Amino acid sequence: MTGERNVRRLALASALAAALLWLFPYAWMLLTSLKTPQELLKAPTALPGAFRLSAYVEVFQSLPVARYVALTTVMALTIAALQIAIALPAAYALAKLDFRWRAAAFAFLLSALLIPAELRFVPTFTLFSALGLVNTLPALVLPFAVSAFGIFLLRQALLVIPDSLIEAARLDGASELYIVYRLLPPILAPALAAFFLVSFVHHWNDYFWPLVMTVDDRVRTLPLGIALLREQGSGVRWHIIMAGSTLLSLPALGLFAFTQKYLLRGLGSGVG
Amino acid sequence: MQRRAFLLSTAALSGGLGGVSCAEGDAPAGRLVVPFWFTYGGRNRATLTTLVARFNRSQSDVWVRAVFQGDYFEGLAKLRTALAAGAAPPLSHVVGEVVPYLAEAGVLEPLDHYPGARALPLHPALGQAGSFRGGAERPLVVVPFNRSTPIAYVNQRLFEAQAGVPDTWQGLREVARALTRPGRFGFGCPIDWWYWAALVGQAGGEVVEPDGRVSLGNQAGVRALALWQSLVGEGSMKQPPGRDYNAWEQLSQDFLAGRVAMIWSSTAFVRYLEETADFPVRALPLPRDEQAAVPTGGTHFVLLKSAPAELKQAAWRFVRFLLEPESAAFWSSETGYLPVTTGAAAGLQTSGFYARHPNHKVALDQLSVAQPWPWSKNLFRIQREVVQPRLEAAVLEKLDPASALRDARRLAGESQL
Amino acid sequence: MKPSRPSQPFWLLSPMLVALGVFFVYPLLSALRTSFYEWDLLTPARFIGLANYRAISSSGELLSSLCTTLLVSSIVVAGSLLLGLGLALAVHRPGRLAALARSAVFSAYVVSWVSVGLLFLWIFDADAGVVNQLLGSIGIAKVKWLTSTAVAPITVALIVLWKVTGYAMVVFLSGLSGLPPEMHEAAALDGAGPWARLRHVTLPLLRPTAAFVATTSLIASFQLFDVVRLLTQGGPVRSTTVLVYAIYEQLFRDLRVGRASALVVVFFVVLSALTWLKLRAFREEEPA
Repeated sequence: MTGERNVRRLALASALAAALLWLFPYAWMLLTSLKTPQELLKAPTALPGAFRLSAYVEVFQSLPVARYVALTTVMALTIAALQIAIALPAAYALAKLDFRWRAAAFAFLLSALLIPAELRFVPTFTLFSALGLVNTLPALVLPFAVSAFGIFLLRQALLVIPDSLIEAARLDGASELYIVYRLLPPILAPALAAFFLVSFVHHWNDYFWPLVMTVDDRVRTLPLGIALLREQGSGVRWHIIMAGSTLLSLPALGLFAFTQKYLLRGLGSGVG
Repeated sequence: MQRRAFLLSTAALSGGLGGVSCAEGDAPAGRLVVPFWFTYGGRNRATLTTLVARFNRSQSDVWVRAVFQGDYFEGLAKLRTALAAGAAPPLSHVVGEVVPYLAEAGVLEPLDHYPGARALPLHPALGQAGSFRGGAERPLVVVPFNRSTPIAYVNQRLFEAQAGVPDTWQGLREVARALTRPGRFGFGCPIDWWYWAALVGQAGGEVVEPDGRVSLGNQAGVRALALWQSLVGEGSMKQPPGRDYNAWEQLSQDFLAGRVAMIWSSTAFVRYLEETADFPVRALPLPRDEQAAVPTGGTHFVLLKSAPAELKQAAWRFVRFLLEPESAAFWSSETGYLPVTTGAAAGLQTSGFYARHPNHKVALDQLSVAQPWPWSKNLFRIQREVVQPRLEAAVLEKLDPASALRDARRLAGESQL
Repeated sequence: MKPSRPSQPFWLLSPMLVALGVFFVYPLLSALRTSFYEWDLLTPARFIGLANYRAISSSGELLSSLCTTLLVSSIVVAGSLLLGLGLALAVHRPGRLAALARSAVFSAYVVSWVSVGLLFLWIFDADAGVVNQLLGSIGIAKVKWLTSTAVAPITVALIVLWKVTGYAMVVFLSGLSGLPPEMHEAAALDGAGPWARLRHVTLPLLRPTAAFVATTSLIASFQLFDVVRLLTQGGPVRSTTVLVYAIYEQLFRDLRVGRASALVVVFFVVLSALTWLKLRAFREEEPA
């Protein structure tokens, strides 16, 4: 059985290497954020002399971090809520109802996956300009109202729910809306949670869409704000940029830490 | 669960929107808020913020809100898209090369009838009249803000043994060679349109001929590019990596770290370099070839036509404030940009500032050989789309300069510019 | 028997259909239309027929951004398949180290491109970045990770790989969890060693999972923008100008809405073709 043992050793070695390779950059980011500019110039690879948070202070001083965080959170929450509101009835119809054009609707949805935000922004920008919506919250939220990924996920989860459950509810006089928004959500909780988390994190982190849809700092999101740290003038101040980068990563990492189980499970349910 | 999420997000949304609109809340109530989009960071940003605060304190009906938008090109992109979307501010500042385009697109507010506009005591080379060929005959649309010329900086400590200052191209070549050591370049220059334009001027050429033809300097353009190529080829010149201002910044860092002995950069960095270097820094004018010539750089204030009249008037008051001798002198001395009014320049002279900081005077003196830009609405496209990419490629990949520029000329001529 | 309610599906699907129509169909059709015009957003648009398409192909811009995108994409797709599968196999076991590795690798997928971009901009800095410093300390010359036309696109691809492998790994993990254990046991009883089991049992069964990973990696790699914008701005000399970045530059740097639209149309056609090809290739081999 040495074959098995060697394989296990290789697996463990790979796991260790992976853990190091993926954790080291974060560690480096954090360490750099604790240094002074002199330390960065003279000894970039040494450990910081002391645990110094001055870079973070400077980030808070040069950017309205709280405002950016609030705005980004509101935007991401709204998008996720809107996506769920639209996905639930759509997934239900596609999974549980029988109608002639169901396959066509599904194919239509599928093709949407091929048109990422980066392809849509030029005409959407001109549309929103004509409507005077550029640089507003709706411009950041509305284009993402439909999540094909979310509808797929919910549809998969719905396919395993027995029809009899829904039949029973109908016999009891429940309307379709009641079934979609009251009956099913508790049953779909894991998939909904995964959907919500993935969507929230994805849009919270989004850089491209806010970059092209906003023109000043009134609806600037946190990723944009942190990216601007880099565009400062005289002298690239890495400790500040890394502090900003750390701050930007914390919410996503924190959320991930708390919800790992649900996320990995919920994603698994819709795949393969 | 879904309904709770919905209610939660509506509540957050209203709270958030309230919070967002309170962004203007740093302005005291009752003041007219004038957004001013600006585009550079570091020390210049800090100095601007100080001046904005001074203005806001000095009167009680206008509040200027300065919004940082990244670097010149980022900010310009945002300004243009904001103009298209009807979301532009009343006041911003733009590089000289794009002014003709914006003016002809009709988005700039004519300034002739604004109080005091025609009577501003501007340095002749820096106002609209001096900055553009034929600028005086056109409606006034720009007022100088942070203006500069390219200058050379030398690491005085490394330069000590060197006799003679490079004041010709040949001199430049010799000095660069002499100062190059293993691990250190004698000379560094961003491969950038601005410095190329300087070289073209020095070689006696024009980027755009007076009749509007885009000649890219003809032979002068080729010689300019060839100079860079030969210096890089000899190993005495460093071509800093990075796009646009990243390259300038990188070069500054190399200079400060002692990896490059002499660099060409903007007078805008004189204060930063003097204060950060641990060696004495000396500024020099650029060398001559057939003649001495430098382009002007930096940006001009623009008022955007689309803004409401009262905001434009208020913005103009802020511009006038910045052009007062005291503010202009403060701006110039703190950063290194040129004093744009004769009053400011005189003030810096009489207060002894230039005696104490001779490096700051180099660019000012160099203005006597400053060349105006052509008033061509395609100038910006020529710079960004046609010339700049080819300069980078030509030096990096050692292309034939004549054919690279011929290519560029063809592109400039045939595209629907 | 399900009661068929003809009107109900329509109302249930209408929000989705409306949103898809406005934000997916309209932009694509609009891009097609705008691609025949010259427009700088500030002055009226001018019809110019196919001139935009001619311009982007004759200037080499289309070809070069396509090639760059394909280069980066192939590294990302191949890498995510190999690394994703390899890591999934390595960490598909109980134990704290495996759990740590799983979390660490997937966490990169969760953070923002801005964080990752800025972080690796610093790590790969030619002078002071940790990679070159470490290389220097063992006597290797500094590599121009982001400033050499040959190396920069590869560096970008590697950074992308670092970020997206976690997703591939998770997908493969759930694929592995779904495999029937009896087949492995049977193969083991037949005397097959772990590598043979891998080749003859595991891999064939994972084909559909691999197809899924390949397709999503392909689509994701074609959407790259943030990392290019933050690290190289498309340079040096356009060597990292991927399609989306080229579109962005046409619009925001050059204010050529028509050309940006032409690039969008081509992009859509290429992506659809590639996806269709890929799905067809995998579907033919799919076990029933």
